[in-house]
Amino acid sequence: MNRRDALQRLSAGFGAIGLAGMLGSQAQAAVKQQVTPKAKRVIFLFMNGAPSHIDTFDPKPALKKYEGQQPSGKLYKAPATSGFMSSPLQFNRCGQSGIEVSESLPRLGSIIDDCCVIRSMHTDVPNHEPALLMMNTGNIQPIRPSLGSWVLYGLGSENENLPGFVVLRPTPNIVVGPALWSNSFLPAEFQATGVITSDMNVDKLIANVRNPLLSSTQQRRQVDLIQRFNQLHAARRDNDSALESQIKSMETAYRMQSAASEAFDISREPPKMRELYGDTPFGRSCLLARRLAESGVRYISVYYTSNNNQPWDTHSDHYKRHPELCADSDRASAALISDLKQRGLLDDTLVVWTGEFGRTPYSQENKDKNKKIDPMKRGRDHHHTAFSTLLAGGGIKGGLAYGASDELGMNAVEKKVHVHDLHATILHQLGLDHEQLTYRYAGRDFRLTDVYGDVVTDILA
Amino acid sequence: MRIFIPLALLISCSALAAEVRVEFNRDIRPILAAKCYACHGPDEDKREADLRLDVRAEAVKSAIKPGNPDASELWKRITHTDSDNVMPPPSSPKQLTKAERNLFRRWIVEGAEYQNHWAFEPIKHPAVPKSDSKNPIDAFIEAKLRTHGLKPAPAADPIALIRRVYLDLTGLPPVPADLAVLSNWSDQTYEQIVDRLLASPNFGERWARHWLDMARYADSNGFLGDGLRPNAYLYRDWVIQAFNTDLPYDQFTVQQIAGDLLPDPALEELTATGFHRNAALNTEAGVDKEEARYQNIVDRVNTTGRVWMGLTVGCAQCHTHKYDPITIRDFYSFYAFFDNTEDRSDAKNKAQTLAEVSKDRRQTYVHMAGDYTRRGPDVIPASLSALPPMTKPLLPEPNRLDLARWLVSPQHPLTSRVAVNHIWSKLLGFGLVRTPDDFGTAGESPSHPELLDWLATEFMRNGWSRKHLIKLMVMSATYRQSSAHREDIVELDPLNCLLARQNRIRLDAEILRDSALAVSGLLKRTIGGPSFRPPLPEDVFDVGRSSNWKVSPGDEIYRRSLYIITLRSVLYPTLTTFDSPDAADACVRRERSNTPLQALAMMNDSVFVEAAQALALRALREAPPEVAKRLQLLFELTFNRLPRAEELQRLAVFHREQKFRVKKDGAKALQVLGNISSSIATSDQTEAATLIAVARVLMNLDEFINRE
Repeated sequence: MNRRDALQRLSAGFGAIGLAGMLGSQAQAAVKQQVTPKAKRVIFLFMNGAPSHIDTFDPKPALKKYEGQQPSGKLYKAPATSGFMSSPLQFNRCGQSGIEVSESLPRLGSIIDDCCVIRSMHTDVPNHEPALLMMNTGNIQPIRPSLGSWVLYGLGSENENLPGFVVLRPTPNIVVGPALWSNSFLPAEFQATGVITSDMNVDKLIANVRNPLLSSTQQRRQVDLIQRFNQLHAARRDNDSALESQIKSMETAYRMQSAASEAFDISREPPKMRELYGDTPFGRSCLLARRLAESGVRYISVYYTSNNNQPWDTHSDHYKRHPELCADSDRASAALISDLKQRGLLDDTLVVWTGEFGRTPYSQENKDKNKKIDPMKRGRDHHHTAFSTLLAGGGIKGGLAYGASDELGMNAVEKKVHVHDLHATILHQLGLDHEQLTYRYAGRDFRLTDVYGDVVTDILA
Repeated sequence: MRIFIPLALLISCSALAAEVRVEFNRDIRPILAAKCYACHGPDEDKREADLRLDVRAEAVKSAIKPGNPDASELWKRITHTDSDNVMPPPSSPKQLTKAERNLFRRWIVEGAEYQNHWAFEPIKHPAVPKSDSKNPIDAFIEAKLRTHGLKPAPAADPIALIRRVYLDLTGLPPVPADLAVLSNWSDQTYEQIVDRLLASPNFGERWARHWLDMARYADSNGFLGDGLRPNAYLYRDWVIQAFNTDLPYDQFTVQQIAGDLLPDPALEELTATGFHRNAALNTEAGVDKEEARYQNIVDRVNTTGRVWMGLTVGCAQCHTHKYDPITIRDFYSFYAFFDNTEDRSDAKNKAQTLAEVSKDRRQTYVHMAGDYTRRGPDVIPASLSALPPMTKPLLPEPNRLDLARWLVSPQHPLTSRVAVNHIWSKLLGFGLVRTPDDFGTAGESPSHPELLDWLATEFMRNGWSRKHLIKLMVMSATYRQSSAHREDIVELDPLNCLLARQNRIRLDAEILRDSALAVSGLLKRTIGGPSFRPPLPEDVFDVGRSSNWKVSPGDEIYRRSLYIITLRSVLYPTLTTFDSPDAADACVRRERSNTPLQALAMMNDSVFVEAAQALALRALREAPPEVAKRLQLLFELTFNRLPRAEELQRLAVFHREQKFRVKKDGAKALQVLGNISSSIATSDQTEAATLIAVARVLMNLDEFINRE
């Protein structure tokens, strides 16, 4: 079918033919896919503020032995600490694999055989902004294209009726802000559609997705007339392909209004399902993420934010706050992974659960109202030289604990995995070679992993 | 169904050549730069096998025997069948094509002559080709078209041309009265329009926006705190004035780079130095001040390189440039010019808070691998070694003022070419060099090198007047051609490098919003002053740790888009959806994407919804009370032309249907009136709601969204 045929058929009415091939992004995608893909899409669960590896996936019984001793060696900054602080949480051997997981994450523990825990993650800086940027964009300074934009640039969209890259977060507040999902210098078609999930009404979820004042029939009538005029316009200009693609975009936008209304509507889920994920902002967001994955959205980020915009940043009251956060996240994350598995979607959906870094194995002291140190208020500080990330599905080995930090959880020591390596691995599972997925800008070829990154082949199924 | 990009689309503009002989700059260097220099180029640290191919004397020692490809190691290696010996190595993503290998062979047969990179050669003064055309631009363009057996497209129809020149020069569409000239259409009337637009204050607003993209202008610091810069607008207004008064580009340059070093600088000259104060600045507590300072100066070096010279000097921050003759020492010598500016703490007035202030220069070092903590050899300020030297003696050492003057010296091979190319790209859709931010060896060569040089010379000869240059361009037949698709050039010239037609351009974000406000009559035309805050969707503001978002009062929110406050952490989504830049780095060329999110914004974003309401109200008030007249006025306001019979008929049918529907739905259908409801008599409300539906359709049409 050539362009002219396509346009003629287009004039006959949309819906009669699939026009996906007319999209430039898809043509490019065909060129860029270099490796046989295992995954088709990604759901990235981001625990803003950074969860403690010591209290989740990386048990350190030796901390008991060194309890209260001052950390030595090269520390990023001199801490106000009462020394090493072991985790009061119990770690249980879970599943067939017997991987030890904290009692604060019982449900993830119960499905650990579907998951791979990387215990040797590390990043460059223990400050939120640069570390968030590193995990989201592969660079500690703003603004570079995000992982999701790179994926969309590499693969195009799976469903032309919906945006290919959707970012969910319960509150607008998020440290760093939209730079975390920026398309930066990549063309705007690879941008994320940001969605605040505090109110699950579809109209509230997507900017401009609906004109509340017009019914769908009225919109359709308007779009029909717009398209008729646009076709006349294009015909007078010898059917320029640039104009044809604008006609296509208009149609997709219109269809998004109804397709999005359905895909984004979690009220269509049975109460049981909503119960499974938990009726919390993060739970509802995870459920929405699954609906979007099912509808063919390529890349979905769910940020765990709250009115405290980085809830996992437990500098104080750690052992009060950490279990509460875990309970919520554990329920929703495990529900998501099991639900995907039950629907046969886990095989080609890669789920990532991580923070921007970990937390110190030693305590951070806090004072009470009388400016006296209050042991009950102890927290953990930022820690970038060792943390844990969980992966599931998308061709990643299940029931695997990969790499290790040292005896005290201070530094990743065995089979270290840098964020660049994680990125390279994610792209690889999607069939993209991180060294070849480049975009020419300002006179040089940029890539997500800059000049770094190795695929962690040991964790591939 | 998958459609792959046709091969022809991948051909670059510089490849469209009719000559037979292989030419190093056009044919060979791009291949070497893209596929060989990374290991066999200027960078000593990365050089393999001690072979460099960027210098002929080195290449002919071992790799190339001029005249004899079969005796040349280069030819042997690129055609080797053994994977251990073949070049580039099989692991490299940059493999040679058969055509490229053949080019190498022919080039060696013809003597393997090298040329200096075209952009570093002095600007030539080429003779204008013989032609009947009055405008020398057309002579150059037509001469090249002739060698391909092509003729230019016919002139655009006058209405399309008037719209084009209004949008290009002022960023605003014409009003119906501006079309009165059609009754008496001639070259002279067109020229009168051009002169009037160049003299319009809106000209400065439009062209300032182009420059502000490059100046990475913003009203905030960026990074986490994203603190406000309440006086940044003074620099923005300076740029508008500079365009409106046609401040010569050489002075425009000197004032921005070194206005503070001019003898007894005027307030405007200090304000101009706001150019480099626009850079993002990390002021967070706990940030390493020395590192922030280092990054800030690096940004100044990179931006100066890209904006004035079209060079990616930034690559040399960490290592000697892979493709261009810029060493890491060059980088830090250039850096030294900026290594002496500090914020004035005792600011006496607003302009001074913006301005650069020089103190003694600090000792500057090469920073190894771009790490500010690793000091290498010390350096003194110096221009790039591959370019003509400064006339100023090295002692006493040159300063920023000398640097600025060096940039605009007539001997500088880049400044004028880069500026001319940038202006051309805004009027013709693409630059003569399609990589306006990269005139280095990895960038594209010019499609019309003689024209580029002629324009660069002409620009300097006319006192660096941008208005003169722009007039020259928009008066050309090349500019005035129709932009309609030409089936006969699709195969030969898919990218339209030869300019056998004008290029159609999706309107820039700001023009789209401004046009909608202008045709609907909402636009508030006040020029300059502090930036305003438009209403924002809930999910956008309140990010980062910025201050609360207070929407500007009254009709402030209907001012032109270049006055929308640019907070680096809270960019205005209506603009970014249409590819407006993020002010992180200098943006020399915007993307022009086409996405469904744009269509959604056009249909439902509050700015466009309000514009449709206001436009409908205009039709109701300004047209005679007949449906056809109202539809005609709506059409004319939006497109500057009357609807054709078929169009009018379709609109009338639509209007009838919609009116029926509005009547049927009653109060619910009248909700679309929004804020204008109160200003419309009850008896007119049904008609107003109907006209809004029509207005929405018209403002969503491709004819509105594109500049033909």
